[in-house]
Amino acid sequence: MKRVVGRILLYAAVLIAAALVAMPMYWLVVSALKPSSEIFTATPRWLPGRIEWRNFVNAWEGAAFGRYFINSVGVTAAILFLQLVTSSLAAFALARRRFVGRGFILFAVIGALIIPIQVTFLANFITLQHFGWLDSYGALIAPFAASAFGTFLLRQAFLAVPDAIEDAARLDRCTGLAFLWHFLLPLARPTVVAFVLVALVAHWNDYFWPLIVTNRDQIRTLPIGLAMFVSQEVTTDWNLLMAATLFVAGPVLIVFFLTQRYFIRSHVNAGLKR
Amino acid sequence: MGKVALALAGIAKAHGSNAVVRGLDLEIFEGEFFVLLGPSGCGKTTLLRMVAGLSDPDSGRIALGGSDVTSVPAEARNIAMVFQDYALYPHMTVRNNLAFGLKRHRVPRDQIGGRIERVARMLAIEQLLDRKPHQLSGGQQQRVALGRAIVREPLLFLMDEPLSNLDAQVRANTRAELKELQHRLGVTTLYVTHDQVEAMTLADRLAVMNLGRLEQVGRPLDVYRLPATLFVAQFLSSPRLNLLAGEIAGGTVRTPVAVFPTGGASGPGGPVQVGIRPEWLRFSPDPVAGSLPLDVALIEPLGAEVLVHARWPDGELVARVAVDGKLPDRGKVWIDAAASRLDLFDADGRRIGSTPGDAEPSNPREISPPLQPAAARGA
Repeated sequence: MKRVVGRILLYAAVLIAAALVAMPMYWLVVSALKPSSEIFTATPRWLPGRIEWRNFVNAWEGAAFGRYFINSVGVTAAILFLQLVTSSLAAFALARRRFVGRGFILFAVIGALIIPIQVTFLANFITLQHFGWLDSYGALIAPFAASAFGTFLLRQAFLAVPDAIEDAARLDRCTGLAFLWHFLLPLARPTVVAFVLVALVAHWNDYFWPLIVTNRDQIRTLPIGLAMFVSQEVTTDWNLLMAATLFVAGPVLIVFFLTQRYFIRSHVNAGLKR
Repeated sequence: MGKVALALAGIAKAHGSNAVVRGLDLEIFEGEFFVLLGPSGCGKTTLLRMVAGLSDPDSGRIALGGSDVTSVPAEARNIAMVFQDYALYPHMTVRNNLAFGLKRHRVPRDQIGGRIERVARMLAIEQLLDRKPHQLSGGQQQRVALGRAIVREPLLFLMDEPLSNLDAQVRANTRAELKELQHRLGVTTLYVTHDQVEAMTLADRLAVMNLGRLEQVGRPLDVYRLPATLFVAQFLSSPRLNLLAGEIAGGTVRTPVAVFPTGGASGPGGPVQVGIRPEWLRFSPDPVAGSLPLDVALIEPLGAEVLVHARWPDGELVARVAVDGKLPDRGKVWIDAAASRLDLFDADGRRIGSTPGDAEPSNPREISPPLQPAAARGA
C-alpha cells in the first residue's frame, strides 16, 4: 500500500514538472492558431474557438521569413559542418597522438571553454572588419568554425576507445584519418549527436552576434528577422508573433524529437563504462 | 625445419630506464608454432608488439621472410594478431569485422565473401556473422578474433595470451582446436603465454623468457626434461619445484635430507642447488640409508594423482604420486634417493652436468623417473 501511494505521488510530481515545461510550448501553439479576437479574453481560453490557419500565411508574408529561413539553415549547417571537421581532427590529435605541447594545447582548449563567448566579440569584430567580411555570411560563420566545447567533448569520447582497437585497426591497414573516420567517429556517435544537437540549438537561436555583424536584410537569420518583425510590423498582433516564433522554434523541436534517443543515451553513457 | 620465417637479432627495448627486452636473438621457422613463455613483466608482450611493428625496438633487427622489416610500419608487414581482449570492432558485425582488413588490403570484392564463408565454416561461426561483438559469449568472441586473423592469410600470426580470458573448460577445448587449426593452415605462429600447460601442449618449440632475456629455447619436452637454468626448472614445475642446498662430493650430492647419486653429473665439487620436480621425487615408507625421516604433513588428492607434502624441521618437500602407486600413510617417509631424479644448478642458477645441447637422450629410460610424470604423459 505504501508503495502504491509512493508511486502515485511520484507520478503526480512528474506530471506537474512536465506540465510546467510543456505549458509555454502549448500556449505558443494555441496562441498561434487563435484569431486575434481570442488573444485577450477575461478568462484564458485553453482551446481556440476557431482555428485561424491564416496566421501563418500572414506572419510569413509579414517579413522575409523565407529568406531568413534559408539563411539560418545555411549558416547553421556551415557552422556545424566546420565545427565537426575541426573538433574531430583536434580531438583526434589530443586524444590519440603524443606530441610536444599537447598538454599546453589541451589546457588552452579548456581555457577557451571557460571564457564567455561575448568576451571574444570585440576582437572577432575587429578582425572581420580588417578582412572586410562584416555584413556577409563569412562574418556569421567564420568565428564559429572551431569549437572548444566540441573539441573537449570529442576528445573525452575518443579517449574511451581502447588502444587495442587502434592496434588491431593498424594491422588491418587502417591508420590516421581512416581510423578517425572508420572507428573514432562511429564509436563516439552518441557524443557526436549530442554535440551536434547542442551546437544546433545554440547557433540556430543565436541572436547577439548576427545582430552585431549584419545590416542587410538579405543575410539576416531567423532570430533577427523575428525581432525585426516584432518591432516593425506587429507590435500588437500576438497571434502572428506566436506563428512566427513557431517558424524559429519548430525546426529545432523536430530535430530534437527525432534524435532524442541518441541524446538521452549519450547522457546515460557518460557515467558508465562502455 | 625449413626456411627461417622470422629472425630477431639483438632486439632491445627499454621503457625509460627500465630495460624490458635485453639484446635478444631468436629464429622461428616457417610453419612453426612457437611459444614465448614467461611470467608477467618478462617482456614477452613487448617483444610481440615489436614483431608486429606496434612499437619500435631501441636496437636490433627484425627480418620477416628473409627481408628486414625493422623500419617497416605495422600496417605494411602483413602480420595478423590476436589480442588478449580480442579487440573486436564493437560497432561492426562479425562479418564486417572479418571483411574490414580484407577491404583495407584491397582484396577484390568478389573474393571477400568466399573467404569469410570459408573461415566462418572452419571456426563454426556461420550463425554469428550478422551479430555484433557484444552479443557474443567470450568463447565466440575469441573465435571471431581468430577468424579475423585467419581470413587475412598473413605471413605470420601473433597471439597475445588469446585464451586467458576464457573459462577453464572452453580454454582446454579451444587450445586443442587452435593447435589442430594451426597445423592445418601451416601459418607460422608466435604465441605468448604465461601458462606452462598452454606452452607445453601448443608449442612445436618454445622459449622461456625471464627479465627480458631468453633462458632457454627448445622443444617442449626437451626443455621440460633438461631445464638449462634453475628459473626454467622452477617455471615449468607444478606444483613448485623442490629446492635443496647441496654439496657435490665424490659422485654424490649431499643435502640436508638425503644423499643422492649425481647420475653422471660431474662438477668441481662444492655447493650446488638441487632441484627435484614433484613428479620425480620418490618417497619410501621404509627407512633408506642416508635419508632423514620426514613427517607427512598433508595429502592433496588431485584425482589420478595425489600431492604428498612431507616436512622436516627446516623445510618441506612435495611429491606427486600416482594413486595406483603405493600411498604413504600419514606418518614417516624417507626419500628414495636412488629412484628420484634431480637437476643440479650452480650458484648462478645454471645447469650442471648434461646440457640441453644433448637434449635427445639415446635411451629415454635413463632420464625418465620410475613413474612416468604426468606432464610428459599429457603432452
